[in-house]
Amino acid sequence: HSERESDEEEEQGALKWKEGLQQKAAEAFLRQQAAAPNLRKLVYGSVVEAQESEEEEEELGGLFRVSRPQQSKKVQANTLDCSRFHPDTFHNWDVEEMLDSIRDCFVTGKWEEGHDAA
Amino acid sequence: MASHGLTYDGCNFFRQRLLLSTLSGKHVKIKNIRSRDDEPGLRDFEASFIRLLDKVTNGSRIEINQTGTTLFYQPGLLYGGSIEHDCNPQRSVGYYLEALLMLAPFMKTPLKATLRGVTNDPTDPTVDLLKSTSLPLMKKFGIDGEAFELKVVKRGMAPGGGGEVVFTCPVRKTIRPVQLTEPGKIKRIRGVAYSVRVSPQMGNRIVESARSVLNQFLPDIYIYTDHMKGVNSGKSPGFGLTLVAETLNGCFLSAEMSSTPQGQGDPVLPEDLGRNCAKLLLEEVYRGGCVDSSNQSLALLLMTLGQQDVSKVLLGPLSPYTIEFLRHIRDFFQVMFKIEVQKPLEDERKGGDKVLMTCVGVGYSNLSKTIK
Repeated sequence: HSERESDEEEEQGALKWKEGLQQKAAEAFLRQQAAAPNLRKLVYGSVVEAQESEEEEEELGGLFRVSRPQQSKKVQANTLDCSRFHPDTFHNWDVEEMLDSIRDCFVTGKWEEGHDAA
Repeated sequence: MASHGLTYDGCNFFRQRLLLSTLSGKHVKIKNIRSRDDEPGLRDFEASFIRLLDKVTNGSRIEINQTGTTLFYQPGLLYGGSIEHDCNPQRSVGYYLEALLMLAPFMKTPLKATLRGVTNDPTDPTVDLLKSTSLPLMKKFGIDGEAFELKVVKRGMAPGGGGEVVFTCPVRKTIRPVQLTEPGKIKRIRGVAYSVRVSPQMGNRIVESARSVLNQFLPDIYIYTDHMKGVNSGKSPGFGLTLVAETLNGCFLSAEMSSTPQGQGDPVLPEDLGRNCAKLLLEEVYRGGCVDSSNQSLALLLMTLGQQDVSKVLLGPLSPYTIEFLRHIRDFFQVMFKIEVQKPLEDERKGGDKVLMTCVGVGYSNLSKTIK
């Protein structure tokens, strides 16, 4: 035991990164969770966030406007009221890879185990 | 009814706010409507929409300030019955009809609405699209029966209009919760290639080019050509295509395109229109889900108003309009959905990410429905 203790003392500096590994892992996990597109947050947001963005815009008001698609509620307040979905980018449906990417959506595509055309 | 109301800014999502206000009984105030615009205030088509709301309700209070930049709306009771409305041609009938579809099941008496105006334009969902996708979707929620139909009597292209549709819908006391999580494979594609006041050959040219794209996937494709003549052809020339893919589980995915309205930009060739519309349908299939992008908000509304049970619906990526609709549902009904992204499996060839929406209905019941 005494040997290990002395070792620990020696390497105290070098092994600092080992401290609280579990906590670090948990933090990293949460960070990743936050970075991954969380749709619920995107849709409902949080009250604090909404207020912040409003203040920011007012501060900048006048000549310049920071355009943030997700928070630009004010900017889109008076645009066209239309239910059509116009995505920013369309896929190129002339290439074979694209066509292949939806093959199994059709009855002519591959069927999963346990399902069949009947 | 609930005493506190809601306040919004700007004219966007105008219909959502007014119809959710009507359904929830909460009054709504919309400020700063185009307040910085050269022509501030409400447009004619919005005024026309308000008049339509006034026709289907009883006792609504609507106040608009002098410049038209502020609107106050205190909803009355949804009455229904037989109404006629001349829709302002700035927007097509689809603009008005989308809202009526959401209100109709909750009327006191069954609705029979005759709407006149532009039936097909490139901006809004056309009456053909609503007929072939929204109605089957509503049937899944228990809204059906003989008197549930949308009939295109006369076709009217933008900008002149002159079309006429008749929409009849039965009333329901409650809405059935649904579990639409498995769309199933697409078994067939149907469509309508319409043309008015142009050569009837246009329809055939559209059909041929659309088929050339879609036949790579399926043999079962039938696209009707609908050429209306004389008094049924409206005031402006034009053509277009609506395509609907039907799955084994009875889900519908749609895409459509209309020719450029006369005198507004470059004319489009029927071959290009057919091909591009077919590609739009492939894009919609890639997005996937049990409900297509143009009907997302209708499905979410009916889920919200369902009986107090869990409803699940698989959607493609949420459209910006739908995202705002979800926020409005939270404002008016205090319902928040559980939103889960479903990534496609490694070897699966079924398009992109899907979104599973789950909620518990508020148990909305139509108390004004007449009992026979």
